[in-house]
Amino acid sequence: MMKLLRCLPLVVCCLLVCQSAYAQAASATDLFYKMRSKLNAVKDYTADVKMNIDVAFIKIPTLRGRLYFKSPDKMKLERDGGISILPKKSISLSLNNLLPAGEATVIDAGTAVIAGKKVRVIKVVPDSDKTDIILTKIWVDEERLLALRTETTTRENGTVSMDLQFGKYAYLALPDQVIFYLDVKDFKVPKGVTMDYDAGDEELTRKADNQKPKKGTIRITYLSYKINTGLSDEIFAEQKK
Amino acid sequence: MMQLIRQELYKIFRRPRTYISFGIIAAITLIIELALYADGKAFMNFALQNITEQFDVQGKIVNGYLVTYIILQSLIINIPLLVALVAGDSLAGEAGIGTLRLLLTKPISRSQLVWAKFLASVVYTLMLLVWLAIISLGLSLLIFGDGDLINMKSGEVVILLRDDVMWRYLCAFGFAALAMTSVAALSVFLSVFADNSIGPIVSTMGIILFFTIITNLGLPSFEAVKPYMMTTHMIAWKGFFSEPVPYAAILRSSLVLVIYTALFIATTIIVFNKKDIKS
Repeated sequence: MMKLLRCLPLVVCCLLVCQSAYAQAASATDLFYKMRSKLNAVKDYTADVKMNIDVAFIKIPTLRGRLYFKSPDKMKLERDGGISILPKKSISLSLNNLLPAGEATVIDAGTAVIAGKKVRVIKVVPDSDKTDIILTKIWVDEERLLALRTETTTRENGTVSMDLQFGKYAYLALPDQVIFYLDVKDFKVPKGVTMDYDAGDEELTRKADNQKPKKGTIRITYLSYKINTGLSDEIFAEQKK
Repeated sequence: MMQLIRQELYKIFRRPRTYISFGIIAAITLIIELALYADGKAFMNFALQNITEQFDVQGKIVNGYLVTYIILQSLIINIPLLVALVAGDSLAGEAGIGTLRLLLTKPISRSQLVWAKFLASVVYTLMLLVWLAIISLGLSLLIFGDGDLINMKSGEVVILLRDDVMWRYLCAFGFAALAMTSVAALSVFLSVFADNSIGPIVSTMGIILFFTIITNLGLPSFEAVKPYMMTTHMIAWKGFFSEPVPYAAILRSSLVLVIYTALFIATTIIVFNKKDIKS
């Protein structure tokens, strides 16, 4: 009996640790679903945006345009007849698409510090095998229920990291600025086809630039939002073609 | 001198074959415009597949500016041929029909005659380029409208906003005038050695083709001679569609072309002055 009593503190400790781990897991799951429901409050929006694309093989000035979003996954950038470049398909510009839809397993991955602020890190694995997303790691500002950073691993489009900054639309989880970090492949067309002009030294400098690590960034600054105006599907028609 | 140039221009524009050049440019341009009007999207999807694997490119990709660029790219070889068709005939044509000796009985120096022939060829060349600008840029903008220009290079893609394109075309056509003037000078130079116009025309084309192939082969063994070849610099108009524009390189290319032109004309004058004219 005495032996049993001596073991009691150990058993109690074990139970406490297990309970704490369960509680943390439950809280991470809650955090994820609360954050997602906050995002889902926005059914559509129209935003005036400024876009800077920094990819080694694309030379493009700052683009200004209007970004249309309709839940769950419709997105279009309109530039008054001009050309726009968006990350490919499921790697959409919306945070909604980088968070797995449906049921998911949420794992608490501790805490981290972003811009001097302590944030909770959670890993989300979708329960369904059919989604393109395999795993999303989210750095969450628990106070404001905002994702400040995400890292999404997809089946077909590699890994996409995203940093988000919030301002006056933080209550709807709509960012003021988003920076995407993309893995980009090489771009090469035979010189015999393009018949390039060889500009000598300048060309060499450019070639050296292209030897940089194959990472790209797309920085989108949201200048203004019009939220939940009931956008029609016709606006996104061209994208579907 | 002006009188002499006017006479040479009269001779050039009196010949029906001069207008064949304008017809050929119109035909090629219209065919390309028609083809791109029908299948432009499919063509660009194919051309951009390296990009569209990674990005969604939306908007009016096939527009007047892009179509003009494709036309100019397609005509890189053809335009020198059309220039040679007239410039190569300037001295050799007169020798061929036996009017050169008669022409030299006039109170003009041989150098003046070479200058008049060359300048008349330059006027024809400029008119050809203006026609090309109207039919390619003007008509394409009319049919397809304007838009941002996607310029695909071997290692990068340059996207130029539509407000930033027109001045580049004006500069490109200006540079093309310089490049084609050097081709005209080469043709006049070759023309001094021949007694019929076929030789200089074919020789000009042969030289341009040969060096264009060497320029574009990209083989390391030719890298050392590339900076000295005329054809390397003739395509410097493309530099205006880079970002940033390589002004230093374009200026270097302009200088090389001016030197070539001056060399060809100077040599033509020297040879023609010493030549024993028999016909």
